[in-house]
Amino acid sequence: MAHPADPPPGDPVEPPPVTRGAGAPPAVQLTGITKRFPGVVANSDITFTVARGTVHALVGENGAGKSTLMKTLYGMHRPDEGSIEVDGRPVTFHSPADAIAAGIGMVHQHFMLADNLTVWENIVLGSEPVNGVRLDSRSAIDKIRALGTSYGLTVDPERLVESLGVGERQRVEIIKVLYRGAKILILDEPTAVLVPQEVDELFGNLRELKSEGLTIIFISHKLDEVRAIADEITVIRRGTTVGTADPKAVTNSQLAEMMVGSELPVPELRDSTVTDRVVLDLAGVTVVDGDGRPVLTDITAAIHAGEVLGIAGVEGNGQAELVDAIMGIRPISAGRVELAGVDVTKLSTLRRREAGIGFIPEDRHRQGLILEGTLWENRILGHQTRPPSARGFRLNRSGARKDTQRIVDEYDVRTPGIEVKANSLSGGNQQKLIVGREMSGDPVLLIASHPTRGVDVGAQAAIWEHLRRAREAGLAVLLISADLEELIGMSDTLTVILRGKLAGSYDPAAVTPEQLGIAMTGGDLGQVAS
Amino acid sequence: MTMTTDPEPLARPVKKKARTLGPLAWVGLAALGLLLFATVRQLTGATNLTSSGAIQAAIGAAAPIALAGLSGLWSERSGVVNIGIEGMMVLGTFGAGWAGYQWGPWAGIFFALVCGALGGLLHAMATVTFGVDHIISGVAINIIAPGFTLYLAKLLFTNAPGGGQKQSPPVSDVYRITIPGLSNWLGTIEDKQIFFVSDLAGILRGATTHLSVFTVLAVLLIVLSGWVLWRTRFGLRVRSCGEAPYAAESLGVNVIKYKFAAVTISGATAGLAGAFLVVGLKFQDGQTGGRGYIGLAAMIFGNWRPGGMAMGAALFGYTDGMQLYDTGGAIHALLLILAVALVVVAILQMRRGHYTIGAVSLVIAALSAIWFFSTDDLPGQLVTAAPYAITLLVMGLASQNLRMPKADGLIYRKGEH
Repeated sequence: MAHPADPPPGDPVEPPPVTRGAGAPPAVQLTGITKRFPGVVANSDITFTVARGTVHALVGENGAGKSTLMKTLYGMHRPDEGSIEVDGRPVTFHSPADAIAAGIGMVHQHFMLADNLTVWENIVLGSEPVNGVRLDSRSAIDKIRALGTSYGLTVDPERLVESLGVGERQRVEIIKVLYRGAKILILDEPTAVLVPQEVDELFGNLRELKSEGLTIIFISHKLDEVRAIADEITVIRRGTTVGTADPKAVTNSQLAEMMVGSELPVPELRDSTVTDRVVLDLAGVTVVDGDGRPVLTDITAAIHAGEVLGIAGVEGNGQAELVDAIMGIRPISAGRVELAGVDVTKLSTLRRREAGIGFIPEDRHRQGLILEGTLWENRILGHQTRPPSARGFRLNRSGARKDTQRIVDEYDVRTPGIEVKANSLSGGNQQKLIVGREMSGDPVLLIASHPTRGVDVGAQAAIWEHLRRAREAGLAVLLISADLEELIGMSDTLTVILRGKLAGSYDPAAVTPEQLGIAMTGGDLGQVAS
Repeated sequence: MTMTTDPEPLARPVKKKARTLGPLAWVGLAALGLLLFATVRQLTGATNLTSSGAIQAAIGAAAPIALAGLSGLWSERSGVVNIGIEGMMVLGTFGAGWAGYQWGPWAGIFFALVCGALGGLLHAMATVTFGVDHIISGVAINIIAPGFTLYLAKLLFTNAPGGGQKQSPPVSDVYRITIPGLSNWLGTIEDKQIFFVSDLAGILRGATTHLSVFTVLAVLLIVLSGWVLWRTRFGLRVRSCGEAPYAAESLGVNVIKYKFAAVTISGATAGLAGAFLVVGLKFQDGQTGGRGYIGLAAMIFGNWRPGGMAMGAALFGYTDGMQLYDTGGAIHALLLILAVALVVVAILQMRRGHYTIGAVSLVIAALSAIWFFSTDDLPGQLVTAAPYAITLLVMGLASQNLRMPKADGLIYRKGEH
């Protein structure tokens, strides 16, 4: 097996100085790029030009081929056809190290950081300054501080990455590529994990970088953000570029049409179906972590039949613990959980499911599916004691198969059959299968934790429609999401969770994502509280 | 542009850093510990608790455990679980026996290192190149190594002078350091049986008399490993492979190369641990007696850090040394020390809110105290088992909040993430 050479030791590579002007070649020029994977063509004949010193947005649906294209540009794999030019020179990348040497840096969507190393260790890894054989931590830290000051990217180099928040981690990622002397930055869905205030901060940083002559390729499918930051937009659909647009002239709906070929679905509810029958009643629910610190404090809330209660919050503020407490996955140290008037506090997760709780988990791969199992085996999960999946203490295979076929038909799960493994389905279809499973067996309460995370636009619209139908049918729904528009559009009542406490309710008809963002980070709530 | 002034807009609660003790606090703790041992010795008359002979035996028992733990440290810091240390140690014992009896102890040590490294290389090939489950590969090595070496032993040692089917001819010892003057002077103090002073003298004398150069080498290796892993470019890259291999890969670090290097070093260190058992004695079938596993446990007890690992190894070495050197009285007295230690563990755990563990510690403490006061001696079988029992007990109850390398035991495939 051939290993790529490690980057040369010593100082980070300095690419040639930036020259600006009308005649200068584009920073990046991709011509006729085609990339095939077994069974699919991820990119076909893509042509893509980025001018130097600009922010260029690459937009498209999930699965349109944006990430594949950027991995090609970053040397993570080689294109089957086509050529790459950087600053007018043709290049061939065998590994990210080559791309780094050519001045290209990538900030991945899922942070590539080692939690148990310090910020500076994460940044210098791979091109460490040394003093003899000893790591020269002093000069590394000084250089990171200097980079931070000149670009307005503040983060303490000596802290453990583990202790950083999401915004800080992203800054570490950006400093990481700047440290290597990158002049062209690829940001893969950088705003997916940020609240609106952090997005503003990131955009400030990006404008600063642009004014220093750096080129930024910004991948996203959030059209408002793209129009706010980009100088030029390239749209990609089904693996190929469909055109470029001027962010000042184009509207969201025009962009959306280019992206999906049709209009974007909008999260919204129809008339109120809220009744006065309480389905889920939480009284003083408190959860502590392994060290005895409270992660959920005195949660009191009620959801009525036909009501969607939306929970907004920055990730890690107790949402996961709240779901675990209701599901009985994590023991609560105080309080009471009542389902349709019955105290279920002491019941096991299985008993609670049998009592009528459906659960769409936050991470479908970790909690929702057995990826190596067939669709019908996955249908049984959580229903292993109930018809049609069970007959007495035995599993009812044929019943489960038949009911899986029903879910596949009713919920439009696109699959060659029910005998295929769950991991051969796309994220959106896996999610539709889970929604179908959780809606069977006549639930009274549905916990939907990030139900449309990482699914394509079509599946998103379908899942929203299923939530609406569930609500009309009198289900109580607990909706947790990081997508504030989804929360505002799909909730009857909105509550903010902050540091494990419920921090005020808002009227979804009146509140804006910005106001919610302020409340989620503990800002002043006064003027927005309903 | 607009910048928010607050650099930390997020509400994620920052975890408190673990308390770190200064050097003075460690000296104080050591003094307190010694005080406990001195008191128990005074009460029970079990002089071997702190006698120089027992300490010498303890050091000899601790060194191979520490080397085995160091082996685990190297491997697991790079993200490869090495349950095969035991087998690599066996390879080391054979290498030491075969080369040692022919060309002297240092040649034996060198060949042990090479044989262990070959075992490590095998483990690296299986786990890193072929993506075999780490545990399966390690267990396979543990099964293959004794059989393979026994076969070789029959082939090579049966007709050697002083050798047999299951053992090699004797291997001479390496140089042993005795600090002249100091050792005798400490001896006279030790013999006077003064409370605390004689105990301290006994321990110091044990550490300065007939001290094997190999032991000194082992200590240096532990210090050196810590330095390399935490202070050099190589070490940072190895640790990054154990924490976030795909992040390392994205920065151009050749993860496979560093994993190979670390696991091979791990094997070589395990080989040295095996050599330690042979030098001054001989190769024998079944000689390692589970020390590889104990070393791994010591490393986990030490939270994947060299200092903590050394403490775990010292704990086992001490009890094992007692068992080897003493006829039973000291192990009996250890019951009382165990009871006190468990009470301390219980208090610490309860202060952190771990009431169940605290309660279990208290119950076991009470049981060992009752056992101590109601008997005068321990049956021989229990004496032999005591080091294992005591070590596992203390490690099990004290080891909470451990932080293993995040990608430890996960199979890494290049370019897949």
